[in-house]
Amino acid sequence: MIAEFTWLVPFIPMMCFLIIGIVGMKTPEKGGYIAIAGALAAFLIALAISFEYLTGPEFAAGEPITNSIRWFAIGDFELNLGYYVDGLTCAMMLFSSFISTLIFIYSIGYMHAEGNRKNRYYAEVSLFLTGMLGLIVSSNFLELFIFWEVMGLCSYLLIGFWSFRHNDGDAASANAASAAKKAFLVTRMGDVCLMGGLFIFLDLFHSLDYTELFANAQAVAAANPDLMTLGLLLMFGGVIGKSAQFPLHDWLPDAMAGPTTVSSLIHAATMVKAGVYLVARAFPLYIMDGNVMLFVGIIGGLTAFIAATMALNNMNIKKVLAYSTVSQLGYMILALGAGGYLWANGYHELGALGFFAGCFHMINHAFFKALLFMGSGSVIHACGTEDMTLMGGLLKKMKITGFTMLFGCLSIAGIPIFSGFWSKDLVIDTAFAAFEEGSGDAATWFLVLWILAVITAFMTAFYMFRMWFMTFMGEPRENALHCHGESPKTMTTPLIILAVFALISGLFMFFGLGDMLAFHGVVVDGVEEAIKLFTNPYTYLTLGLAVVGIAIAFMMYVKKTINPGKFNKDGESWLYKALTKRWWFPDMYNQISWKLGYGVAKGVNYIDRQVVDGTVNGLSSAVVGGGDVMSKVQTGHVQDYSSIVLFGVSVLCVLFLVIAIVLGGITL
Amino acid sequence: MIPMEFFLVLAAILFCIGAYGVLTKSNAIVVLMCIELMLNAANMNFVVFGAYNYDIIGQAFVIMSISVAAAEVAVGIAILLNAYKIRKTTELNDSELTTMRW
Repeated sequence: MIAEFTWLVPFIPMMCFLIIGIVGMKTPEKGGYIAIAGALAAFLIALAISFEYLTGPEFAAGEPITNSIRWFAIGDFELNLGYYVDGLTCAMMLFSSFISTLIFIYSIGYMHAEGNRKNRYYAEVSLFLTGMLGLIVSSNFLELFIFWEVMGLCSYLLIGFWSFRHNDGDAASANAASAAKKAFLVTRMGDVCLMGGLFIFLDLFHSLDYTELFANAQAVAAANPDLMTLGLLLMFGGVIGKSAQFPLHDWLPDAMAGPTTVSSLIHAATMVKAGVYLVARAFPLYIMDGNVMLFVGIIGGLTAFIAATMALNNMNIKKVLAYSTVSQLGYMILALGAGGYLWANGYHELGALGFFAGCFHMINHAFFKALLFMGSGSVIHACGTEDMTLMGGLLKKMKITGFTMLFGCLSIAGIPIFSGFWSKDLVIDTAFAAFEEGSGDAATWFLVLWILAVITAFMTAFYMFRMWFMTFMGEPRENALHCHGESPKTMTTPLIILAVFALISGLFMFFGLGDMLAFHGVVVDGVEEAIKLFTNPYTYLTLGLAVVGIAIAFMMYVKKTINPGKFNKDGESWLYKALTKRWWFPDMYNQISWKLGYGVAKGVNYIDRQVVDGTVNGLSSAVVGGGDVMSKVQTGHVQDYSSIVLFGVSVLCVLFLVIAIVLGGITL
Repeated sequence: MIPMEFFLVLAAILFCIGAYGVLTKSNAIVVLMCIELMLNAANMNFVVFGAYNYDIIGQAFVIMSISVAAAEVAVGIAILLNAYKIRKTTELNDSELTTMRW
């Protein structure tokens, strides 16, 4: 029973982290090969576990394989450590470890020139992978939270990997050190919410084990609907922080200050996927409250739309990809929200479809986003810049990178056969289904979200191809002229593998992914859904819009028949400025932190200095001053002292006499 | 039998003389002697109460008290001798001795 060794999946990368950290400097590539071996081993074990689970009786019965040991107990709250393997776990750990392996291989080429700093890099990415895999195989929310925080730490360390570098992105970006700090602090806000949610669940369920929670969800939700809603909302707060959802999305574009491989790791295999995974994992709890799911859907839809707009005019190749990630994460959250809403209202088939669409999009996105990031890394490696206005015409020099990235772009734009098409259209369909089946305000909301999702699909196609055309087509500009050709094999091989997956990963849906990602036993039939997709007129609407987006991008940036300057008054229109300023979100953060944070800090400072310090200082100076005054009583004349003693004794005697007389002990 | 009050009054007078000496005399040796007077006034009270109450403890306690007083005087005189060695005087309000206060 290999499933008993599920704990090895996060354990091996952790050992790699320790080994690289301690002796990595002495090994070739400063521990790079150890990191690759660790990730590969984790992948192989995950593969064996998945094979065993998916062919075993538990899977047929729809049960997870789970086991835990007691960690500690406080009162009657028992907290455990263990593993929990079900279809979602298998899918997640497979793609995380697989993509991480490829990213690590790619790092050998990409980080080659970093010297001794590589050692740190490889140790940290191994720990990062530990965080993600541990989070995936956890059997309870406390364990999940621990690994969640491990990833938070690693993202901080890795985004700040080049902490000595300064502004070289667009105006709104910050240097690596402050980008890392921002990522850490912003996600921290979410983490505090998540912790609050976990406390509520602990109070409600007296346990944080998945099995306990999922089994008792119905009863507890019926008994304590308000507390349950609060707990779910707080937990979703954690998702908002981690998965960069509106309004905490702004850290992710700044996180581009890290090495491209790190961006790729954060966006494709780990970190931001953790938030979506949390919603999917806690789905049995979320479906207890349709309104929470509506809220989740609204946040997802808004994020998808807002992030897509900001990608439209960005000139930094990595930032465009960052916004597209935020936007795609919005899609996943939207699908889960809409699906959960439908399930909560009794439409189990559609609910399961939403769940499937969200997870499916997460997997597809992992493949094509890893591909796109590593492709952009390859371009940056060759050109030495991230600014797309300095690139162009690179397809001739970098054929492999160019074509593999084209696969990624086609996939994310949702062109049929490519993976993005299947999952994205399922997401959009789910939103539409929620509008059709929903009631009252919720239906209106889902209609709005559906429209936003369709517009986002159009924008996605436009900005992705804008990026591709600006980079690979047209006449070469400055840096592209002295670009030194295709990247080394260690970098192109992962690109090719991922390009294949970007092409075929959508087809997994026909080969049992629906069974793997079944929710509460409701299986999504891939073939049936595909037929539905192709008979649905709205699919052709999205598809048409995507093609139009690509065409516009082509005419603007290759044919030059449309001048982009015409729409934005050469960068002078308020909309263009708003997008460059990222809808003033960084400014808003600044304002809030200045006005609110600084105000609070000032108040605290005042209280600290005036009240706390005042009390302490007042007391001490009273003691010192009093001592000074009282010491004057000491005359040094022994007879003064003795007279005081005598006087005191006489007074005491008189006092005792008086008391004795008053109390009646003595009669004179 | 002589009434107890006689002894008590005698002891009180002795005590007052001693206290007066302690508070007013400037010579340290005289002050020490006055302290002995006060102590003996107290001892006298012990003996008187012991005798009138047929209780031997009073007299026993006096023996104790006298021996402690002897030790105490020894220490007192030792200090005085040292002070005298340094200052060549046994005056209590000697300027240098009175400044040893803070």
